[in-house]
Amino acid sequence: MEGLGINLSTLIAQLVSFLVLFGLLYFFAYKPILRMFDERSQKIKDSVEQAEQVREQAAHAEEENRKQLEAASKEGQEAIARAMRAGDEARQRAEEEAKVQAGTLLDKARQEIQRERDEAIGELHQEFADLAIVAAEKVIEKSLDKEAHRALIDKVLEESGILKED
Amino acid sequence: MSRKGCLGCSFPVLITIVVVVLAVGVVSLLSGALGKAIIGEVGLPELFTVDAPHVQLPAEVIFHIGGFAVTNTLLASWITIVILAFFAWAVTHRIKVIPSRLQNLLEFALEWLMNFCIDVAGEKNGRRFFPIITTIFLFVIMNSWLSLVPGFGSITYTVVEHGETHVLPLLRGANTDINFTLALALISFVFVEYLGIREGGLRYFTKFINVRQFGQGVGQLLRGKVKSGFGGIFMGVIDMFVGVLEGIGEMMRVVSFTFRLFGNMLGGEILILMMLFLMPFLLAVPFYGLEMLVGAIQALIFGGLTLVFATMAVTQHEHEAS
Repeated sequence: MEGLGINLSTLIAQLVSFLVLFGLLYFFAYKPILRMFDERSQKIKDSVEQAEQVREQAAHAEEENRKQLEAASKEGQEAIARAMRAGDEARQRAEEEAKVQAGTLLDKARQEIQRERDEAIGELHQEFADLAIVAAEKVIEKSLDKEAHRALIDKVLEESGILKED
Repeated sequence: MSRKGCLGCSFPVLITIVVVVLAVGVVSLLSGALGKAIIGEVGLPELFTVDAPHVQLPAEVIFHIGGFAVTNTLLASWITIVILAFFAWAVTHRIKVIPSRLQNLLEFALEWLMNFCIDVAGEKNGRRFFPIITTIFLFVIMNSWLSLVPGFGSITYTVVEHGETHVLPLLRGANTDINFTLALALISFVFVEYLGIREGGLRYFTKFINVRQFGQGVGQLLRGKVKSGFGGIFMGVIDMFVGVLEGIGEMMRVVSFTFRLFGNMLGGEILILMMLFLMPFLLAVPFYGLEMLVGAIQALIFGGLTLVFATMAVTQHEHEAS
């Protein structure tokens, strides 16, 4: 034992040294470093969770966006369809109105023509009657009372008119 | 990019290196004991010669504090403690979540050791054993690497004792002092036994004093079952013998722990001194590398075996309980 150099006081001193080192390292190295490991792994876990959350939120928002977009496009298409239908209706209505208007215009024009023709015929009658009177006066050289004359002629014309109508 | 030269150096640099190495080689051959034996004395200056190492097992006493002798190995172990504690303090007094380079180094080492502990002993026990295992590991590895620092062994101290002057190295690797390795072995032993007792209570000692089978055998014999009684007694004697062996084995761990570390480290130191003596400068260089490796391996063995024994002491009772 002496040859190896074992002696009690040095042995105890080395035991104490070890315990001192253990204490120092425990407080200066193991405790803070292990706490740091735990803290860091906690932090990493937190941030991973957060990232997951953010990703979920983003997916959610995207989904929402897509839905809104879909709804908007559907609405837009509906609006277009409605507008087209309204346009068609308006066109049809306008066409019909135009047809009706054209019809009335035509009728009016016809009536006008009729009326003008009638008027012209009436005037012609008048003229013709006057001419006939003048001619008859000339022929018979006898002046009938103008009123009687006219009645006579009208009667003739009436008859001829009836005849003609037939 | 095409590089001229060889081995990553340009030719002039390479040639210079080769010349320097050869010159050192020649000088070391001529000044070393090996060269002197082969070629003979060529009259190189005193500076280059290295004295023959004289092997001394006990650590040298440097001075006394009261009645307490401070040896050079104790001094070296205190330096190791100061270095380790200062390094730990320097890192952790401003510890950050995002580590600095120094903090990274410490964290890498501790995380590696922590994983080692957890791998061997499991999550819960690994964390519990970690501080003591790591302290053992760091203490041993720093002691052995510290003694490889150039100049470590060459600082001398002159002691005048009984009219004789002794020139002693001021520092000597703590691993080469049997008191240190014995202290570590005792701590490892106490740690393991403490864990065993704490886990198993008094039942822990039944591992060493195992009379249950013997008692059963005696009981059966008394009840008249002669055959099974004698069989039980026979098995009981074997159990008791195994228990005694177990106890001796546990004690021998201290011895093997002590002498494994002591022998390896002292042997390594003597090896380097011998190489320096035989052929200074050049021949010792590979052995320095070897000794760094040996220091790390011995530290790992000491810590690892303590860890394994501790795990065995703890899990043995878990098996028995279940």
